[in-house]
Amino acid sequence: MIMLNQIKYISLLLAGSFTFASCEKVIEVKLDNAESQVVIEGNITDQAGQQLVKITKSVPYTATNTYPPVSGAVVTVTDDNGHSWTFSETTAGRYTFPAMKGETGRIYTLKARINNVVYTASSVMPAPVGIDFLDVKVFNFGGDDQKQAQVHYKDPAGIANQYRFVMKVNGIQSKQVYAENDRLTDGNEVPSVLFFTGNNNDQDQLKTGDVVDIEMQSIDKNVFLYWYTLSQQSSNGPAGGATPGNPPSNIDNKALGYFSAHTVSQKQMTVK
Amino acid sequence: MKITFIFLFTLLSSVPFILSAQQRISISGTVKDGATGETLIGATVKLQSSGQNTGLATNAYGFYSITAPTGEYNLIVSYSGYQISTQKVLVNKALTINIALAPASTLQEVQISAGELKNENVKNPQMGLNKINMKDLDNVPVLLGEKDVLKAIQFLPGVKSGGEGNTGFFVRGGAADQNLILLDEATVYNSAHLLGFFSTFNADAIKDVSLYKGGMPAQYGGRLSSVLDVKMQDGNDKKFGVEGGLGLIASRIKAEGPLVQNKSSFMISARRTYIDLLLKAFGDSALKKNTLNFYDINAKVNYKFDDKNTLYLSGYFGQDNIGIKDLFANDWGNTTATMRFNHIFNNRLFSNTSLVYNRYSYAIELIDGQNNAKVKSLIRDLNFKQDFQYFSNNHMLRFGLQGTRHQISPSDITASGNSSINPLSIEKRYGLEFGLYVSDEWKLSEKFNLLMGLRLSQFSLLGPGKINTYDNTAAFVSSKTYKSGEFVKNYFNLEPRFSASYTLNDKNSIKASYNRNTQNIHILNNSGTSAPTDQYVMSSNNIKPEIGDQIALGYFKNTEDNGYEFSAEVYYKWLQNQIDYKDGADLTANAEVESLLLYGKGRAYGLELYGKKTKGRLTGWISYTLSKTERQFDGINQGSYFPARQDRTHDLSLVAMYNLSKRWSVSANYIFNTGNSVTYPAGKYDIGGLTTYYYTDRNANRMPNTSRLDIGATLKAKETRRFQSSWTFSVYNVLNTKNPYAIRFRDKENDPSRTEAVQTSLFGIIPSVTYNFKF
Repeated sequence: MIMLNQIKYISLLLAGSFTFASCEKVIEVKLDNAESQVVIEGNITDQAGQQLVKITKSVPYTATNTYPPVSGAVVTVTDDNGHSWTFSETTAGRYTFPAMKGETGRIYTLKARINNVVYTASSVMPAPVGIDFLDVKVFNFGGDDQKQAQVHYKDPAGIANQYRFVMKVNGIQSKQVYAENDRLTDGNEVPSVLFFTGNNNDQDQLKTGDVVDIEMQSIDKNVFLYWYTLSQQSSNGPAGGATPGNPPSNIDNKALGYFSAHTVSQKQMTVK
Repeated sequence: MKITFIFLFTLLSSVPFILSAQQRISISGTVKDGATGETLIGATVKLQSSGQNTGLATNAYGFYSITAPTGEYNLIVSYSGYQISTQKVLVNKALTINIALAPASTLQEVQISAGELKNENVKNPQMGLNKINMKDLDNVPVLLGEKDVLKAIQFLPGVKSGGEGNTGFFVRGGAADQNLILLDEATVYNSAHLLGFFSTFNADAIKDVSLYKGGMPAQYGGRLSSVLDVKMQDGNDKKFGVEGGLGLIASRIKAEGPLVQNKSSFMISARRTYIDLLLKAFGDSALKKNTLNFYDINAKVNYKFDDKNTLYLSGYFGQDNIGIKDLFANDWGNTTATMRFNHIFNNRLFSNTSLVYNRYSYAIELIDGQNNAKVKSLIRDLNFKQDFQYFSNNHMLRFGLQGTRHQISPSDITASGNSSINPLSIEKRYGLEFGLYVSDEWKLSEKFNLLMGLRLSQFSLLGPGKINTYDNTAAFVSSKTYKSGEFVKNYFNLEPRFSASYTLNDKNSIKASYNRNTQNIHILNNSGTSAPTDQYVMSSNNIKPEIGDQIALGYFKNTEDNGYEFSAEVYYKWLQNQIDYKDGADLTANAEVESLLLYGKGRAYGLELYGKKTKGRLTGWISYTLSKTERQFDGINQGSYFPARQDRTHDLSLVAMYNLSKRWSVSANYIFNTGNSVTYPAGKYDIGGLTTYYYTDRNANRMPNTSRLDIGATLKAKETRRFQSSWTFSVYNVLNTKNPYAIRFRDKENDPSRTEAVQTSLFGIIPSVTYNFKF
């Protein structure tokens, strides 16, 4: 997976340099506007503290990026050991439980009742895998050095692991989805480059002095499939790479989003 | 099945006719270019007397055989671009007459010979066939001046390009992997150089290009949508010659000549791009460490033992290299080798035996301390083909067999030292494919011609290997290990092929055809264009052979002494066992790739109009296609039909060439087509702080339309007896149209509360110049 990400990134750079005459412009497109859908984003982490389930609605493509919260839902989380937590709506659409800590190996089940429809999802909390350290990887491509952040971790041998990374550069979240598994790297010391892509080309590398925050999550297989599918849909190449679709959600009843029980490990560095 | 029996019956019923033709006398021979000794494929040979008028076209080796009752005849042979040959023959015993046609040296002569060209396109029962005249290629303006067979066929009706500047193509709604691409009978698995911007076919080395979009003759099998049959030149057997060209990004050179006078000749042609060398020369230090090139070599030798026995050896080798020093390397290429032996048993029976080897492989290497790894993949075939052609009164019988052994090595990962990537080798897969065919081209009457064929295709997946079985939801069922040579799964398919033409009068005909094709080698790629890392899989216990059925109806008309050709064809196609894959499928180095596949069906239909002007100072063609192609998969789009990615409603191309003077000629192409079908978001939502798009129906939207005008001019320098040269100037996309290549959606840069669509365009206006020489 790591290898693939790297190959994909390098291919993009190459394609960019080869298609020297290419250009971009903003265009008007005719789009269908779909009905509003329920979006559930639920996370249970191994960090003691507040756990959050967010429920919103999708908006038409042409609307502004403000997503209406869904209020009045009944949200509970149970585990396979007979525990139950009832979440309460602290602000509109945000359902929280103040003090809860997920445990490795437990199966957590989310139930959200919204307007008499019950949405259910389950997720297993994997064993924690932490960040060993962060450093900067320099790619010498086309003469100028490109700096990218690199996460080092030790993958546990003999079991299937899946990871998701969230990167913030100077407090702003990278617009890239980072998901990888250990299909080709099982049991190894793994350096993984998180390629930074901003909205335009001059934002696609790190500069000296940038503060980089990286969160590493150990996620289960279904949640991985969700994030990985999402990461594959960045549109590149003729007619836009893989045909985009809604990533396979682990929530039933056609809700969008996911429910993820995962471990968290965080580190920060300043780019030299 | 019923249809098959009717075919068999009709086919068998023609046998007595063939045998009863014995009292007639045969005249046979080979038609060649008088100047180079190159055999002419598809030249028209006619035997004419007051009461008799029979004709046919020479076969792939320039051979013809005509039968006629005793008598005195005119033997007339013609071929586009050559002076017509007429001679009186007295037919009273079997004759062998070899004919050498002189090339038409001036414009006038071209016109005369073209005027005498038979209306073969009207009378022949074959439909769905387009030929590319290699001489036209010299004049058609192309991207960066590199003339290209695969780009030229995209100007034909029913053929859609795989993307701007791309050599990938779609025929009559089929997928890119459903085209059988043959170079001297060897399968070319990946016909793209430089990520698809150039094709593997070096136009200098090519003699003949035929594209079958429908009504495929029975000797071809293995792909659903089309057959692109490319044949290399044999080499001049009269005198030694060199020709070549210097272009902006590539140069090429060809040498040919006799090895043994009139018995043996050779041809070798090579080309290489030098984008990377040029950039270095211009002092771009940034790119000094990088590699970006391709090269290829075509070579052919033939030896004529006597009038009845000829041996041909031909080969192709091509390689692409892309690399960044100390970071990354990717190379890929095809190798083909063909040995063919022609034997003429007698005036009526022509035989060809071929042994063919072809191989496609790629390697990707990450050169990076802790992430170093190399991935290698290859597909390799060994083929045996035996083909007979039997010429009889009003019949041309063709039969033979083909056997292929396939080997696919899906993925081998090697890594050294402390690499974070583990070595992994995915099991090789072996397959055996047989084809047995018979066909008869039958002139039932002056007006009615039939081409009937039947092909029996067999495919076996062979051990050794651990083979998993998945159910129809792709869930794992069982696993079994097979020994070497053990049969895992066998498939048999009968493929009827049928075409008929009815000539209304000499200039008008209607034609109809039905054909079935099956396919056992599939590419897992739905991104539309070919990538060097395309994954091949064979039919198996999980993957059924793809089946395609096509019916077509056409009207053909020539006017103005065959100076204008016009055709209209409509077709409808049914596709079974089509392959797509699940969302988020990770196909790379995955032993369980078959668990990620979805199976469905497809349909495609359309109307193709084609008009061609073959005579005069202005020549060229116009083609228009109105079409639709759809797919249906249970797991996609709620199970309802959706447009395939290459579905484009309108497709128009225009190619025009004009001879200004003896030295100057100018040309232009224009294309217009509806955009590809794509999936745009219908809504959006927030996930993890990122704008995420909500999709509804697959491929329900359209990219913007594409249009482009290219112009070119060729200047012939003053010829000497020894040396000829010319300059070709071209401007690609002269109107600098910003055509859509990809469209993506993003948050607006200066107003992140909104989203916008961004279109990437590839090539703006690109001028180029090429210098060609010949001595």
